Amino acid sequence: MRRRENLLLLLLMAPAAAAFAAFWLLPMARLAAVAGSGPLGIAAYAAILTNPRYFASLVATILLSAGVTGATLLLAGVAGVFLARNYFPGRSLLLALLTFPLAFPGVVVGFMVIMLAGRQGFIGDIVFRLSGSRLVFAYSMTGLFMGYLYFSIPRVILTVIAGAEKLDAALEEAARSLGAGRWRIVRDVIIPGLRPALISSGAICFATSMGAFGTAFTLATNIDVLPMTIYTEFTLNANFAMAASLSLVLGFITWLVLALARSAAGSGVAAAA
Amino acid sequence: MARSLGLALVALVLLLGRPATAQPTAICYNCPPEWADWASELKAIQVKLGITVPQDNKNSGQALSQLIAEKGNPVADVVYYGVSFGIQAQEAGVVATYEPLHWDEIPAGLKDPGGAWFTIHSGTLGFFVNKDALGGKPVPRSWADLTKPDYKGMVGYLDPSSAFVGYAGAVAVNQALGGSLDDFGPAIGYFKRLLKNDPIVPKQTSYARVLSGEIPILVDYDFNAYRAKYKDQANVEFVIPAEGTLAVPYVMSLVKDAPHDENGRKMLDFVLSDEGQAIWGNAFLRPVRAAALSPEAKAKFLPESEYARVKAVDFAKMAAAQKTFVDRYLAEVR
Amino acid sequence: MTRTGSFYAQLAVTALIGAFLIVPVILSVVAGLTVNFFQGLKSGLTLRWIGEVWSLYSGTVYLSLLVAFACLGATLLLGVPAAYVLAKRQSRWTRLVEELLMLPVAVPGLATALALILLYGGFREFRTSWHFILVGHVLFTLPFMVRAVLAVLTSIDLATLEEGASSLGASFAQRFFGIVLPNCRSGILAGALMVVTLSIGEFNMTWMLHTPLTKTLPVGFADSYASMRIEIGSAYTIVFFFMIVPLLLLVQRFARLGALDRQ
Repeated sequence: MRRRENLLLLLLMAPAAAAFAAFWLLPMARLAAVAGSGPLGIAAYAAILTNPRYFASLVATILLSAGVTGATLLLAGVAGVFLARNYFPGRSLLLALLTFPLAFPGVVVGFMVIMLAGRQGFIGDIVFRLSGSRLVFAYSMTGLFMGYLYFSIPRVILTVIAGAEKLDAALEEAARSLGAGRWRIVRDVIIPGLRPALISSGAICFATSMGAFGTAFTLATNIDVLPMTIYTEFTLNANFAMAASLSLVLGFITWLVLALARSAAGSGVAAAA
Repeated sequence: MARSLGLALVALVLLLGRPATAQPTAICYNCPPEWADWASELKAIQVKLGITVPQDNKNSGQALSQLIAEKGNPVADVVYYGVSFGIQAQEAGVVATYEPLHWDEIPAGLKDPGGAWFTIHSGTLGFFVNKDALGGKPVPRSWADLTKPDYKGMVGYLDPSSAFVGYAGAVAVNQALGGSLDDFGPAIGYFKRLLKNDPIVPKQTSYARVLSGEIPILVDYDFNAYRAKYKDQANVEFVIPAEGTLAVPYVMSLVKDAPHDENGRKMLDFVLSDEGQAIWGNAFLRPVRAAALSPEAKAKFLPESEYARVKAVDFAKMAAAQKTFVDRYLAEVR
Repeated sequence: MTRTGSFYAQLAVTALIGAFLIVPVILSVVAGLTVNFFQGLKSGLTLRWIGEVWSLYSGTVYLSLLVAFACLGATLLLGVPAAYVLAKRQSRWTRLVEELLMLPVAVPGLATALALILLYGGFREFRTSWHFILVGHVLFTLPFMVRAVLAVLTSIDLATLEEGASSLGASFAQRFFGIVLPNCRSGILAGALMVVTLSIGEFNMTWMLHTPLTKTLPVGFADSYASMRIEIGSAYTIVFFFMIVPLLLLVQRFARLGALDRQ
């Protein structure tokens, strides 16, 4: 009985496994080979650490992604808990509006940032009217940060709302009846309760930021994030080997963070996307 | 539930079964509609030759890289790019040789003797200025002007590591400030000074951003500026910098093992024909067959006295120097 | 009193975030309808730009929709059974499979695209068709479908339900279609929403995988923003909104119906 069931399960798994092997594992193996076959050979993989430009790019990307993740978790956490607990007219419209940027390609997000903070931007106009000088920050690290925040918040907020809805109100009541203050409740009841949701959505947020290309491409900032560096290597004498090795290292680092997050959130908890 | 799944599957099967289109096509890498009025050229090709060429917005660097990545089985039939990329494409072995009609009318320095690439038109580098967006400041007249704090946040130039116009701009300012293709010191120094002015450095053509005022001053070609001024009626001026600048050719090649080889050749013949060249002239480029530039179009250019400051360089040397310069730029200008 | 204070603080944060996300959208809708962006609203309103965008880029809208729905179909066919297997046998191996499936999300899209071109670029028919783009999208969205369905499957007592059904004589197929699928409906719908939105917005991979004949909406958008007037780029975003809003509402409506059903 069990053996027959195992066979059926294997059959059910087969299409996905086959597609994945054919279209991802094999091509990636080929890419890894290409990465190691350039002028530097296998040392290309270490180039991300040895070459100052690549290393700076890596550090910038990690710091940016970490910063964005932290800010997003904070902002979306507050807003998510609030929206999960308060019902008011227009709530569902607000929810829909908050999540619809999920579909925006990075290019559109970059465009939105320019609409807000570019030379002709909304914020620049307001500041100009108030103070006479134009505030333009679309093309700096701040603009990039804002862009990343723009596509991260919708991703996290949905998960937080779902997680907040599952919080046991009885725990908070108990804490309050024992005399715990507001911040104490947040720190010791709400955040631990939201922990799986926060960790899993934070990990996705980090991964998306690490690999984001469209936003930086549109904003044309001078600050090189790793995906842009990879793009430069690709269009610079078609340096595929270096582009490939950088991509694989970036992929490995991102995957590591995702794996750590998954084990921190508790094994077996396949957190909702 | 099962019904919706079933519907999805049926739709999937139907969609997957759609037949491919059968009109004659040629694929061009880097034929952006707004650049050099490729839109009109592609339309003329459709009308005259019956060949549909979809527009494509890569820049020169992306086009070459994509060609190399697809070397085993090319997708493109023809490619349009700056001269230094043409030379590199030849070295990379991704282009075929072809001598189109009117080959003999192309001057010797503007084509590869073997036919790997040939100039179709050229442009001159300078400042493409949106006067309305300057906020009352005077129009800059020299390379040195751009580094003045007056223009902070207003200056843009295309990325030398990716776009040909970016690299050409770097060579131009280098020449103007006394450097040469062996010594890019003046250019690197210039870009470092320019960094203090918060320049915007796009990777792709940014015609739209100049018109919208997002980038009031862009280091770009005369034909883009003239187009903005005469076709789009924008309050724009083209400035040939006082210290001097460069004129550079844009070239085309037939891709090796092109999927639609015949159509590619026909297209290349057309861009050098009287009609094809006239379109470039009307778009304010200098067609390689100079006679094709109509007097009406010529009248809209800046006077010849301004163009006296425009020089040329040894393009082969320019191509050879590209990698070293770009490496240096990426390392030092940060 | 403090409670009301913190309530308003939270409301303010939520409102600010809402404004941050929505104001640029409104700005770009307005820009797409203005005659001249630089002059602003005083230059008048027009539908001209939308018309131009449609004549230039309608193909990209259709292609993006096609790829998104095909992607949904593929992830349903591949992902739902896979999630079921992962839920039934929770062992070291299945955890490994889960990790593997997540890899295309971790590795930058540019790399996956390059890898696909290097290995499969030689098959010209495949390379120049939209199926090539579909493959990339499926790789990227499959883990999201699997995770969504797996989350629901692990939260219900699957074993008991199936045992009950099989003790009443249900076959494997009957159990799968009659018990498992209806019970993970909310997961399937959540996954479907993710897959469709991610596919429509996918740029990193598609940018390298596309050919001038197979341009999707984000690629067309990048093109138009770079080389066309900003009014056209903005009008393109209006077209994009018209496409995406009904789609999202539709999927959300299915999700709500599904949730009501379960109650």
